Amino acid sequence: MIRFEGVSKQFQINDQVIQAIDNVDLTVEKGEIYGVIGFSGAGKSTLIRCVNLLETPSSGKVWVNDQDIQSLSKENLREMRRKIGMIFQHFHLLESKTVFDNIGFPLSLAGEPKSKINKKVKELLDFVGLSDKANHYPDQLSGGQKQRVGIARALSTSPEILLCDEATSALDPQTTQSILDLLKRIQKEYNITILMITHEMQVIREICDRVAVMELGKIIEEGTIFDVFSNPQHVTTRNFVKTVMNDEIPSSIIRMIESKEGTKHIYRLLFEGNFAGDPILSMASKNHDVHTNILFGQITELQGKPFGNLIVEFRGEDSDIHKALEYIRETVGVKELNIDGC
Amino acid sequence: MDVKLTEFWPRILEATIDTLAMVGFSLLFALILGLPLGIILVVTRPGNLMENKLLFPVLNAIINFFRSIPFIILLVAILPFTRVIVGTSIGTAAATVPLVVFAAPYIARLVESSLLEVSPGVVEATEAMGARPWQIVFRVLVPEALSSLILNITIAVIGLIGASAMAGFVGGGGLGDLAIAYGYQRFETDIMIVTVLLLVLLVQLVQTFGNKFSKIIRRR
Repeated sequence: MIRFEGVSKQFQINDQVIQAIDNVDLTVEKGEIYGVIGFSGAGKSTLIRCVNLLETPSSGKVWVNDQDIQSLSKENLREMRRKIGMIFQHFHLLESKTVFDNIGFPLSLAGEPKSKINKKVKELLDFVGLSDKANHYPDQLSGGQKQRVGIARALSTSPEILLCDEATSALDPQTTQSILDLLKRIQKEYNITILMITHEMQVIREICDRVAVMELGKIIEEGTIFDVFSNPQHVTTRNFVKTVMNDEIPSSIIRMIESKEGTKHIYRLLFEGNFAGDPILSMASKNHDVHTNILFGQITELQGKPFGNLIVEFRGEDSDIHKALEYIRETVGVKELNIDGC
Repeated sequence: MDVKLTEFWPRILEATIDTLAMVGFSLLFALILGLPLGIILVVTRPGNLMENKLLFPVLNAIINFFRSIPFIILLVAILPFTRVIVGTSIGTAAATVPLVVFAAPYIARLVESSLLEVSPGVVEATEAMGARPWQIVFRVLVPEALSSLILNITIAVIGLIGASAMAGFVGGGGLGDLAIAYGYQRFETDIMIVTVLLLVLLVQLVQTFGNKFSKIIRRR
């Protein structure tokens, strides 16, 4: 478990004071995958470095497993760091060591016997699917393979927490997916708490349980993936959500609607959870004598639950439309739209 | 020219051994001094592992001071110091002292630049593993920089060969001494040509060996 309590960090660069993190409160529960998203410079990198004291907070407290990490002696901090694995955007492997020795390095630093290191490294090589690359050097590996080595290395000391610092940002989409699958498997099999920072909303959607959105050093929004994605509050959050769930009406359709005369009744229907049982639109249309015209639609899955939105134009008498909407509202969320977007 | 072959080659051989001894011993002592100094320069540098706002600038200035004195001046300037250390100011042993004073700060700088090439991210990753500072230095910085260190030390060795020839000017012995005493002052051109060729060969050998060794360490 990780808890930030009023954590702030200022950097002094020449005469300028830069507030990297600003009074952050955050709790990551044991065994969950927690994502922090933000643009570069939002302070998320500094935040994640406060967990293992690679950065020391200027004020506030960071608790790891109910221990105030800043109160630890140097020796105890080193002990604690062994329980916190970390992977990086640029992998940071030792170029002079083989894959095998890279993975065993943290154990070797901790003075573990060779036999134990060998056993653990073999197990991890197998787990990340690189058994055939044991004697290769990092510069003989692809980016995805390097990150697998990084992950295996981070797991070698059997940590309780895994910190992921933009772990997939240097990888192509397909490799990103395979690394995310691996992280998911790690969380399941080892029940590790994962704190990850990223600027890719797709990564958050894919594996996180909860998400915090960071901007200018502050957490501006926080919640479960479902809540944040289905109902983003802050404009920055909305922009992030948009990057993975496009909910804007294509401009060609807008032009088409605008070219028609008369009042337009266009609504956004939000589907959450188990809505698929009834043919809602069809029933509304039939029972209330309105015609529906679906302009745009998208359905995705969030944390195993379906989530979608349809943009529908209703045609018919105003009173009928009103009744039809009343009917639809019983099951799904309805929002009226202006033509110029949302 | 009346060079006797019976004297010529033994003299050349003796001078070559002197040069190798001078370079070898001064390299050894310069490494003993220069390696730790270079490491200290890196770790005490602002923002690094053991940042030290006093030690770094002082050491930096001292190294700059010695690096800025031309060798030929250093050679004579530290004669009294040389006498204290080895008891004499003439001969191969005496030449080793200024060579060490010349090469140690040089090596410290070369070591510094090699170690600085190691990615700070790798150092940070090692810190995150719970490594002790000395583990970071000896198990990350030095091994990661080793290939580059070897190339840089090769440069230092070649610098030392050149400097050792200069040390011959103050009676330090070796190939430089031979070239000046016989080749230059007595116009024995043969000796001049042979010594210069030998120096060229030596430098070639050192560089080739350094490149090979560095490549083996890099393993690619």
